[in-house]
Amino acid sequence: MTDPRRPDGQPGGLTCDEVRDLAASFVLGALSEPEMDAVRDHLADCTELHEEFTELGAVVPALDVAVPLMEPPSALRDRIMAVAAADLDARRQADARVIEPVTTLPESVTTEPEPAGAPAPASEPIPIETARRRRPLTWVAGIAAVLAIVLLGAWNLSLQGQLNAAQTYQQQVASVLDAASQPGALTAVLSAPSGQGPNGIAAVTSDGQMRIAMRDLAPTAGDEVYEAWMILPNTAPAPVGGFTVGSNGSGFIEAGGVPAEPGLVLALTREPRPGMTAPSGDPVSVGTTTSTANSTG
Amino acid sequence: MSESSGPLPLRVATVTDDADRAALERIARDELGALDDLYERYKTMAYSIAYRITNDATLAEDVVQEAFLGVWRNASRYVEGRGSVKTWLLSIVHHRAIDAVRRRRATVDLPERDDAPPPAMRLPDVWGEVSSNLDADEVRAALASLSDVQREALELAYFGGLTQTEIAERTGTPLGTVKSRMRLGLLAMREMLSP
Repeated sequence: MTDPRRPDGQPGGLTCDEVRDLAASFVLGALSEPEMDAVRDHLADCTELHEEFTELGAVVPALDVAVPLMEPPSALRDRIMAVAAADLDARRQADARVIEPVTTLPESVTTEPEPAGAPAPASEPIPIETARRRRPLTWVAGIAAVLAIVLLGAWNLSLQGQLNAAQTYQQQVASVLDAASQPGALTAVLSAPSGQGPNGIAAVTSDGQMRIAMRDLAPTAGDEVYEAWMILPNTAPAPVGGFTVGSNGSGFIEAGGVPAEPGLVLALTREPRPGMTAPSGDPVSVGTTTSTANSTG
Repeated sequence: MSESSGPLPLRVATVTDDADRAALERIARDELGALDDLYERYKTMAYSIAYRITNDATLAEDVVQEAFLGVWRNASRYVEGRGSVKTWLLSIVHHRAIDAVRRRRATVDLPERDDAPPPAMRLPDVWGEVSSNLDADEVRAALASLSDVQREALELAYFGGLTQTEIAERTGTPLGTVKSRMRLGLLAMREMLSP
Protein backbone atom coordinates (compact mmCIF):
# COMPACT_ATOMS: atom_id res chain seq x y z
CA MET A 1 0.00 0.00 0.00
CA THR A 2 1.29 3.45 -0.86
CA ASP A 3 1.83 5.88 1.95
CA PRO A 4 -0.25 8.93 0.94
CA ARG A 5 2.10 11.24 2.75
CA ARG A 6 4.99 10.25 0.57
CA PRO A 7 5.61 10.78 -3.12
CA ASP A 8 5.01 7.64 -5.10
CA GLY A 9 8.06 5.88 -6.38
CA GLN A 10 10.59 8.02 -4.51
CA PRO A 11 13.33 6.19 -2.63
CA GLY A 12 12.62 6.47 1.06
CA GLY A 13 9.44 8.36 0.24
CA LEU A 14 11.44 11.54 -0.27
CA THR A 15 12.33 13.49 -3.39
CA CYS A 16 15.97 14.26 -4.10
CA ASP A 17 15.34 17.92 -3.33
CA GLU A 18 13.83 17.02 0.04
CA VAL A 19 16.83 14.84 0.85
CA ARG A 20 19.24 17.60 -0.12
CA ASP A 21 17.33 19.93 2.17
CA LEU A 22 17.86 17.51 5.06
CA ALA A 23 21.53 16.77 4.37
CA ALA A 24 23.08 19.09 6.96
CA SER A 25 20.67 18.01 9.67
CA PHE A 26 21.28 14.39 8.76
CA VAL A 27 25.06 14.48 9.01
CA LEU A 28 24.76 16.31 12.34
CA GLY A 29 22.25 13.76 13.63
CA ALA A 30 19.62 16.47 14.05
CA LEU A 31 16.68 14.55 12.63
CA SER A 32 14.09 12.37 14.29
CA GLU A 33 14.55 8.63 13.89
CA PRO A 34 11.80 8.33 11.22
CA GLU A 35 13.40 11.17 9.28
CA MET A 36 16.84 9.58 9.60
CA ASP A 37 15.41 6.27 8.36
CA ALA A 38 13.72 7.94 5.39
CA VAL A 39 16.95 9.65 4.34
CA ARG A 40 18.91 6.41 4.75
CA ASP A 41 16.38 4.56 2.62
CA HIS A 42 16.58 7.24 -0.06
CA LEU A 43 20.39 7.18 -0.12
CA ALA A 44 20.41 3.41 -0.32
CA ASP A 45 18.13 3.31 -3.35
CA CYS A 46 18.63 6.61 -5.16
CA THR A 47 20.56 6.65 -8.43
CA GLU A 48 21.95 10.12 -7.71
CA LEU A 49 25.23 10.33 -5.84
CA HIS A 50 24.07 13.01 -3.39
CA GLU A 51 27.60 14.27 -2.92
CA GLU A 52 26.33 16.94 -0.54
CA PHE A 53 26.29 14.29 2.16
CA THR A 54 29.96 13.57 1.66
CA GLU A 55 30.82 17.25 1.47
CA LEU A 56 28.96 18.18 4.63
CA GLY A 57 29.63 14.93 6.49
CA ALA A 58 33.37 15.27 6.01
CA VAL A 59 33.40 18.24 8.36
CA VAL A 60 31.50 16.58 11.19
CA PRO A 61 34.35 14.52 12.73
CA ALA A 62 36.38 17.72 12.93
CA LEU A 63 33.91 19.10 15.45
CA ASP A 64 35.17 16.51 17.92
CA VAL A 65 38.67 17.94 17.67
CA ALA A 66 37.51 21.22 19.18
CA VAL A 67 36.29 19.56 22.37
CA PRO A 68 38.25 20.52 25.53
CA LEU A 69 40.22 17.46 26.61
CA MET A 70 39.48 15.76 29.93
CA GLU A 71 41.07 12.66 31.43
CA PRO A 72 38.68 9.91 32.51
CA PRO A 73 39.07 8.43 36.00
CA SER A 74 41.49 5.51 36.08
CA ALA A 75 38.79 3.23 37.51
CA LEU A 76 36.91 3.44 34.24
CA ARG A 77 39.58 1.46 32.44
CA ASP A 78 39.48 -1.22 35.14
CA ARG A 79 35.73 -1.47 34.92
CA ILE A 80 35.71 -1.80 31.14
CA MET A 81 38.40 -4.46 31.18
CA ALA A 82 36.70 -6.40 33.97
CA VAL A 83 33.39 -6.50 32.11
CA ALA A 84 35.11 -7.43 28.85
CA ALA A 85 36.98 -10.24 30.63
CA ALA A 86 33.78 -11.54 32.19
CA ASP A 87 32.07 -11.27 28.83
CA LEU A 88 34.83 -13.27 27.18
CA ASP A 89 34.84 -15.88 29.91
CA ALA A 90 31.09 -16.35 29.60
CA ARG A 91 31.31 -16.64 25.82
CA ARG A 92 34.07 -19.20 25.97
CA GLN A 93 32.29 -21.25 28.58
CA ALA A 94 29.06 -21.14 26.63
CA ASP A 95 30.84 -22.09 23.39
CA ALA A 96 32.69 -24.95 25.02
CA ARG A 97 29.53 -26.12 26.69
CA VAL A 98 27.55 -26.31 23.46
CA ILE A 99 30.26 -27.44 21.12
CA GLU A 100 31.62 -30.14 23.41
CA PRO A 101 29.09 -32.83 22.44
CA VAL A 102 29.82 -32.25 18.76
CA THR A 103 33.48 -33.04 19.25
CA THR A 104 32.66 -36.41 20.78
CA LEU A 105 30.16 -37.58 18.23
CA PRO A 106 30.29 -41.05 16.75
CA GLU A 107 32.54 -41.24 13.70
CA SER A 108 29.60 -41.45 11.33
CA VAL A 109 28.60 -37.98 12.40
CA THR A 110 31.94 -36.29 12.89
CA THR A 111 33.08 -37.27 9.40
CA GLU A 112 30.23 -35.38 7.78
CA PRO A 113 31.63 -32.73 5.44
CA GLU A 114 31.70 -29.27 6.88
CA PRO A 115 29.23 -26.75 5.53
CA ALA A 116 30.46 -24.43 2.82
CA GLY A 117 32.29 -21.49 4.27
CA ALA A 118 33.42 -23.38 7.31
CA PRO A 119 35.93 -21.50 9.44
CA ALA A 120 39.61 -21.65 8.70
CA PRO A 121 41.92 -23.30 11.21
CA ALA A 122 42.56 -21.06 14.18
CA SER A 123 46.26 -20.88 13.44
CA GLU A 124 45.68 -19.09 10.17
CA PRO A 125 45.30 -15.32 10.01
CA ILE A 126 41.65 -14.44 10.28
CA PRO A 127 40.34 -11.59 8.14
CA ILE A 128 38.65 -9.07 10.36
CA GLU A 129 35.32 -9.42 8.60
CA THR A 130 35.25 -13.16 9.12
CA ALA A 131 36.82 -13.46 12.53
CA ARG A 132 33.57 -13.10 14.43
CA ARG A 133 31.72 -15.24 11.95
CA ARG A 134 33.66 -18.26 13.09
CA ARG A 135 31.43 -18.56 16.10
CA PRO A 136 28.08 -18.53 14.23
CA LEU A 137 29.45 -20.97 11.69
CA THR A 138 30.56 -23.23 14.48
CA TRP A 139 27.09 -23.05 15.85
CA VAL A 140 25.70 -23.93 12.44
CA ALA A 141 27.94 -26.97 12.31
CA GLY A 142 26.85 -27.88 15.80
CA ILE A 143 23.19 -27.56 14.96
CA ALA A 144 23.63 -29.69 11.85
CA ALA A 145 25.32 -32.34 13.92
CA VAL A 146 22.58 -32.19 16.49
CA LEU A 147 20.00 -32.83 13.80
CA ALA A 148 21.99 -35.81 12.60
CA ILE A 149 21.99 -37.24 16.09
CA VAL A 150 18.25 -36.82 16.35
CA LEU A 151 17.86 -38.80 13.14
CA LEU A 152 20.13 -41.49 14.46
CA GLY A 153 17.94 -41.74 17.49
CA ALA A 154 20.89 -41.64 19.81
CA TRP A 155 22.13 -39.18 22.41
CA ASN A 156 19.09 -37.06 21.81
CA LEU A 157 17.82 -36.65 25.32
CA SER A 158 21.14 -36.03 26.96
CA LEU A 159 22.29 -33.64 24.26
CA GLN A 160 19.03 -31.72 24.33
CA GLY A 161 19.36 -31.52 28.07
CA GLN A 162 22.86 -30.12 27.75
CA LEU A 163 21.71 -27.58 25.20
CA ASN A 164 18.91 -26.46 27.47
CA ALA A 165 21.31 -26.25 30.37
CA ALA A 166 23.70 -24.16 28.29
CA GLN A 167 20.90 -21.83 27.24
CA THR A 168 19.73 -21.46 30.83
CA TYR A 169 23.26 -20.74 31.99
CA GLN A 170 23.77 -18.21 29.19
CA GLN A 171 20.67 -16.32 30.29
CA GLN A 172 21.86 -16.32 33.87
CA VAL A 173 25.32 -15.16 32.84
CA ALA A 174 23.74 -12.33 30.83
CA SER A 175 21.95 -11.22 33.98
CA VAL A 176 25.21 -11.23 35.90
CA LEU A 177 26.94 -9.26 33.14
CA ASP A 178 24.20 -6.66 33.28
CA ALA A 179 25.05 -6.13 36.92
CA ALA A 180 28.78 -6.21 36.19
CA SER A 181 28.45 -3.43 33.64
CA GLN A 182 27.16 -0.96 36.21
CA PRO A 183 29.54 1.71 37.46
CA GLY A 184 31.47 0.56 40.50
CA ALA A 185 30.48 -3.08 40.13
CA LEU A 186 32.83 -5.88 41.12
CA THR A 187 33.12 -9.27 39.50
CA ALA A 188 34.28 -12.67 40.67
CA VAL A 189 34.92 -15.93 38.88
CA LEU A 190 33.87 -18.88 41.03
CA SER A 191 35.56 -22.21 40.56
CA ALA A 192 35.84 -25.50 42.39
CA PRO A 193 38.80 -25.72 44.79
CA SER A 194 39.89 -28.89 43.04
CA GLY A 195 39.88 -27.16 39.68
CA GLN A 196 37.14 -29.39 38.31
CA GLY A 197 33.55 -29.00 39.31
CA PRO A 198 30.97 -26.28 39.74
CA ASN A 199 31.97 -22.91 38.34
CA GLY A 200 30.38 -19.61 37.46
CA ILE A 201 30.59 -15.86 37.72
CA ALA A 202 29.30 -13.27 40.14
CA ALA A 203 28.81 -9.52 40.16
CA VAL A 204 28.27 -7.17 43.07
CA THR A 205 26.96 -3.71 42.28
CA SER A 206 27.89 -0.59 44.20
CA ASP A 207 24.52 -0.62 45.97
CA GLY A 208 25.12 -4.12 47.33
CA GLN A 209 23.12 -6.19 44.88
CA MET A 210 24.78 -9.50 44.08
CA ARG A 211 24.08 -11.98 41.28
CA ILE A 212 25.73 -15.37 40.88
CA ALA A 213 25.32 -17.71 37.91
CA MET A 214 26.62 -21.25 38.42
CA ARG A 215 26.80 -24.42 36.35
CA ASP A 216 27.90 -28.03 36.75
CA LEU A 217 26.23 -28.25 40.14
CA ALA A 218 24.96 -31.59 41.35
CA PRO A 219 21.15 -31.53 41.61
CA THR A 220 19.74 -30.94 45.06
CA ALA A 221 17.34 -33.44 46.64
CA GLY A 222 14.78 -33.15 49.41
CA ASP A 223 15.44 -30.11 51.56
CA GLU A 224 18.94 -29.63 50.23
CA VAL A 225 20.01 -26.20 49.02
CA TYR A 226 23.13 -24.52 47.78
CA GLU A 227 23.97 -21.65 50.09
CA ALA A 228 26.03 -18.64 49.06
CA TRP A 229 28.32 -17.13 51.67
CA MET A 230 30.20 -13.87 51.80
CA ILE A 231 33.44 -13.80 53.73
CA LEU A 232 35.17 -10.56 54.64
CA PRO A 233 38.72 -10.66 55.97
CA ASN A 234 38.87 -11.91 59.56
CA THR A 235 35.16 -12.51 59.75
CA ALA A 236 33.04 -15.63 59.79
CA PRO A 237 31.10 -16.58 56.63
CA ALA A 238 27.74 -14.84 56.46
CA PRO A 239 24.88 -16.43 54.55
CA VAL A 240 23.64 -14.53 51.52
CA GLY A 241 20.93 -16.81 50.23
CA GLY A 242 20.18 -20.28 48.99
CA PHE A 243 18.81 -21.98 45.90
CA THR A 244 17.98 -25.44 44.66
CA VAL A 245 19.34 -27.03 41.51
CA GLY A 246 17.58 -29.24 39.01
CA SER A 247 18.89 -31.75 36.55
CA ASN A 248 20.39 -29.07 34.28
CA GLY A 249 23.01 -28.31 36.90
CA SER A 250 22.71 -24.54 36.67
CA GLY A 251 21.89 -22.24 39.54
CA PHE A 252 21.26 -18.55 39.98
CA ILE A 253 20.87 -16.33 42.99
CA GLU A 254 20.23 -12.63 43.41
CA ALA A 255 20.55 -11.03 46.83
CA GLY A 256 21.12 -7.65 48.45
CA GLY A 257 23.21 -6.38 51.30
CA VAL A 258 26.54 -7.55 49.95
CA PRO A 259 29.39 -5.06 50.41
CA ALA A 260 30.96 -3.99 47.14
CA GLU A 261 34.50 -4.42 48.39
CA PRO A 262 37.34 -5.88 46.35
CA GLY A 263 38.68 -8.99 48.02
CA LEU A 264 35.33 -10.17 49.28
CA VAL A 265 35.26 -13.96 49.11
CA LEU A 266 32.12 -15.57 47.76
CA ALA A 267 31.68 -19.26 48.49
CA LEU A 268 29.04 -21.83 47.71
CA THR A 269 28.28 -24.84 49.92
CA ARG A 270 25.79 -27.63 49.66
CA GLU A 271 23.63 -27.65 52.76
CA PRO A 272 21.12 -30.21 54.07
CA ARG A 273 18.42 -27.59 54.55
CA PRO A 274 17.78 -23.85 54.11
CA GLY A 275 18.54 -21.34 56.83
CA MET A 276 21.95 -22.59 57.92
CA THR A 277 23.87 -19.90 59.83
CA ALA A 278 27.27 -21.49 59.26
CA PRO A 279 28.61 -23.75 56.52
CA SER A 280 28.29 -27.43 57.34
CA GLY A 281 31.00 -28.50 54.92
CA ASP A 282 33.65 -27.38 52.50
CA PRO A 283 32.74 -25.02 49.66
CA VAL A 284 32.03 -26.52 46.28
CA SER A 285 33.04 -23.31 44.51
CA VAL A 286 34.85 -20.15 45.59
CA GLY A 287 35.74 -16.78 44.06
CA THR A 288 37.06 -13.37 45.08
CA THR A 289 35.61 -10.08 43.95
CA THR A 290 37.78 -7.72 42.00
CA SER A 291 37.40 -4.43 40.23
CA THR A 292 40.82 -4.43 38.70
CA ALA A 293 42.31 -5.87 35.55
CA ASN A 294 43.39 -8.89 37.58
CA SER A 295 40.54 -10.75 36.02
CA THR A 296 41.49 -9.79 32.52
CA GLY A 297 44.12 -12.46 32.17
CA MET B 1 28.97 32.07 1.32
CA SER B 2 30.67 30.53 -1.64
CA GLU B 3 30.98 26.82 -1.86
CA SER B 4 34.39 25.31 -2.20
CA SER B 5 35.34 24.07 -5.59
CA GLY B 6 36.14 20.45 -4.92
CA PRO B 7 35.75 17.63 -2.48
CA LEU B 8 37.97 17.34 0.53
CA PRO B 9 41.03 15.26 -0.21
CA LEU B 10 40.77 11.66 0.81
CA ARG B 11 42.79 10.79 3.84
CA VAL B 12 45.90 8.74 3.46
CA ALA B 13 46.48 5.86 5.79
CA THR B 14 48.68 6.76 8.71
CA VAL B 15 50.77 4.71 11.10
CA THR B 16 48.08 5.28 13.71
CA ASP B 17 45.41 3.99 11.33
CA ASP B 18 47.40 0.81 10.78
CA ALA B 19 47.93 0.35 14.51
CA ASP B 20 44.23 0.92 15.17
CA ARG B 21 43.23 -1.56 12.53
CA ALA B 22 45.67 -4.12 13.88
CA ALA B 23 44.20 -3.59 17.33
CA LEU B 24 40.71 -4.11 15.97
CA GLU B 25 41.76 -7.34 14.28
CA ARG B 26 43.14 -8.54 17.59
CA ILE B 27 39.94 -7.54 19.35
CA ALA B 28 38.02 -9.57 16.79
CA ARG B 29 40.18 -12.49 17.90
CA ASP B 30 39.13 -11.87 21.52
CA GLU B 31 42.46 -10.43 22.66
CA LEU B 32 41.76 -8.34 25.74
CA GLY B 33 45.11 -6.60 25.53
CA ALA B 34 44.10 -5.07 22.21
CA LEU B 35 41.03 -3.52 23.81
CA ASP B 36 43.31 -2.11 26.47
CA ASP B 37 45.58 -0.66 23.78
CA LEU B 38 42.70 0.98 21.97
CA TYR B 39 41.33 2.35 25.23
CA GLU B 40 44.65 3.86 26.21
CA ARG B 41 44.91 5.50 22.79
CA TYR B 42 41.48 7.09 22.74
CA LYS B 43 40.25 7.26 26.33
CA THR B 44 40.84 11.00 26.63
CA MET B 45 39.18 11.87 23.35
CA ALA B 46 36.26 9.54 24.01
CA TYR B 47 35.68 10.78 27.53
CA SER B 48 36.02 14.41 26.48
CA ILE B 49 33.39 14.04 23.78
CA ALA B 50 31.06 12.15 26.11
CA TYR B 51 31.46 14.78 28.80
CA ARG B 52 31.04 17.65 26.34
CA ILE B 53 27.69 16.21 25.30
CA THR B 54 26.36 14.92 28.61
CA ASN B 55 27.94 17.47 30.97
CA ASP B 56 27.76 14.71 33.57
CA ALA B 57 30.83 12.78 34.70
CA THR B 58 28.95 9.62 35.66
CA LEU B 59 26.94 9.58 32.46
CA ALA B 60 30.08 10.24 30.44
CA GLU B 61 31.78 7.24 32.06
CA ASP B 62 28.81 5.07 31.24
CA VAL B 63 28.85 6.24 27.64
CA VAL B 64 32.55 5.52 27.22
CA GLN B 65 32.16 2.12 28.86
CA GLU B 66 29.26 1.21 26.56
CA ALA B 67 31.17 2.42 23.52
CA PHE B 68 34.32 0.41 24.19
CA LEU B 69 32.32 -2.67 25.13
CA GLY B 70 30.37 -2.16 21.91
CA VAL B 71 33.65 -2.20 20.00
CA TRP B 72 34.73 -5.27 21.97
CA ARG B 73 31.59 -7.13 20.98
CA ASN B 74 31.27 -5.82 17.43
CA ALA B 75 34.80 -5.39 16.13
CA SER B 76 34.01 -7.54 13.11
CA ARG B 77 31.28 -5.12 12.04
CA TYR B 78 33.79 -2.41 11.36
CA VAL B 79 33.86 -1.86 7.64
CA GLU B 80 37.10 -0.72 6.12
CA GLY B 81 36.68 2.21 3.78
CA ARG B 82 33.95 3.92 5.77
CA GLY B 83 36.27 5.85 7.98
CA SER B 84 39.16 5.17 10.28
CA VAL B 85 38.86 3.08 13.41
CA LYS B 86 39.24 6.29 15.38
CA THR B 87 36.32 7.91 13.60
CA TRP B 88 34.24 4.76 14.00
CA LEU B 89 34.95 4.57 17.70
CA LEU B 90 34.37 8.26 18.37
CA SER B 91 31.19 8.13 16.32
CA ILE B 92 29.92 5.37 18.59
CA VAL B 93 30.80 7.50 21.61
CA HIS B 94 29.00 10.47 20.10
CA HIS B 95 25.87 8.54 19.23
CA ARG B 96 25.65 6.90 22.64
CA ALA B 97 26.16 10.23 24.37
CA ILE B 98 23.43 11.81 22.28
CA ASP B 99 21.17 8.89 23.11
CA ALA B 100 21.92 9.40 26.79
CA VAL B 101 21.04 13.09 26.82
CA ARG B 102 17.94 12.52 24.73
CA ARG B 103 16.76 9.85 27.13
CA ARG B 104 17.49 12.19 30.00
CA ARG B 105 15.36 14.86 28.34
CA ALA B 106 12.77 12.25 27.38
CA THR B 107 11.57 14.46 24.56
CA VAL B 108 12.50 12.10 21.79
CA ASP B 109 11.16 8.60 21.40
CA LEU B 110 14.30 6.56 20.93
CA PRO B 111 14.61 2.93 19.96
CA GLU B 112 16.71 0.74 22.21
CA ARG B 113 20.18 0.32 20.80
CA ASP B 114 22.03 -2.93 20.78
CA ASP B 115 25.79 -3.11 20.63
CA ALA B 116 25.80 -2.54 16.91
CA PRO B 117 27.59 0.44 15.44
CA PRO B 118 25.43 3.55 15.10
CA PRO B 119 23.26 3.69 11.99
CA ALA B 120 25.27 6.44 10.38
CA MET B 121 28.24 4.10 10.17
CA ARG B 122 26.22 1.58 8.21
CA LEU B 123 25.33 4.06 5.51
CA PRO B 124 26.33 3.18 1.98
CA ASP B 125 28.25 6.40 1.67
CA VAL B 126 31.87 7.32 1.94
CA TRP B 127 32.38 9.93 4.58
CA GLY B 128 35.58 11.79 4.10
CA GLU B 129 37.47 12.84 7.15
CA VAL B 130 39.54 15.80 8.04
CA SER B 131 39.85 15.30 11.76
CA SER B 132 43.09 13.34 11.70
CA ASN B 133 44.92 16.10 9.91
CA LEU B 134 43.75 18.95 12.09
CA ASP B 135 44.64 20.28 15.45
CA ALA B 136 42.23 21.69 17.97
CA ASP B 137 43.29 25.29 17.45
CA GLU B 138 42.48 25.15 13.75
CA VAL B 139 39.03 23.75 14.37
CA ARG B 140 38.30 26.17 17.20
CA ALA B 141 39.38 29.04 14.96
CA ALA B 142 37.08 27.80 12.23
CA LEU B 143 34.20 27.52 14.67
CA ALA B 144 34.92 30.97 16.06
CA SER B 145 34.79 32.47 12.60
CA LEU B 146 31.19 31.37 12.09
CA SER B 147 28.35 33.71 12.87
CA ASP B 148 26.93 33.27 16.35
CA VAL B 149 23.69 31.80 15.04
CA GLN B 150 25.50 29.33 12.77
CA ARG B 151 27.75 28.18 15.61
CA GLU B 152 24.78 27.92 17.94
CA ALA B 153 22.87 25.77 15.45
CA LEU B 154 25.82 23.41 14.94
CA GLU B 155 26.49 23.08 18.66
CA LEU B 156 22.87 22.53 19.61
CA ALA B 157 22.64 19.83 16.96
CA TYR B 158 25.96 18.05 17.35
CA PHE B 159 26.71 18.47 21.04
CA GLY B 160 23.23 19.22 22.36
CA GLY B 161 21.51 16.34 20.64
CA LEU B 162 18.61 18.52 19.53
CA THR B 163 16.74 17.82 16.34
CA GLN B 164 16.31 20.57 13.79
CA THR B 165 12.72 21.02 14.94
CA GLU B 166 13.79 21.31 18.57
CA ILE B 167 16.44 23.85 17.64
CA ALA B 168 13.83 25.89 15.81
CA GLU B 169 11.56 25.80 18.84
CA ARG B 170 14.29 26.61 21.33
CA THR B 171 15.71 29.51 19.36
CA GLY B 172 12.37 30.78 18.06
CA THR B 173 13.65 30.50 14.54
CA PRO B 174 11.84 29.20 11.45
CA LEU B 175 12.81 25.62 10.61
CA GLY B 176 14.06 26.59 7.18
CA THR B 177 16.39 29.14 8.73
CA VAL B 178 17.79 26.54 11.12
CA LYS B 179 18.51 24.18 8.23
CA SER B 180 20.18 26.99 6.32
CA ARG B 181 22.36 27.97 9.29
CA MET B 182 23.58 24.42 9.78
CA ARG B 183 24.32 23.93 6.10
CA LEU B 184 26.13 27.24 5.69
CA GLY B 185 28.02 26.68 8.93
CA LEU B 186 29.29 23.31 7.80
CA LEU B 187 30.22 24.61 4.36
CA ALA B 188 32.11 27.53 5.90
CA MET B 189 34.07 25.21 8.16
CA ARG B 190 34.78 22.92 5.24
CA GLU B 191 36.20 25.77 3.25
CA MET B 192 38.34 26.97 6.14
CA LEU B 193 39.65 23.53 7.02
CA SER B 194 40.42 22.41 3.49
CA PRO B 195 44.10 22.68 2.57
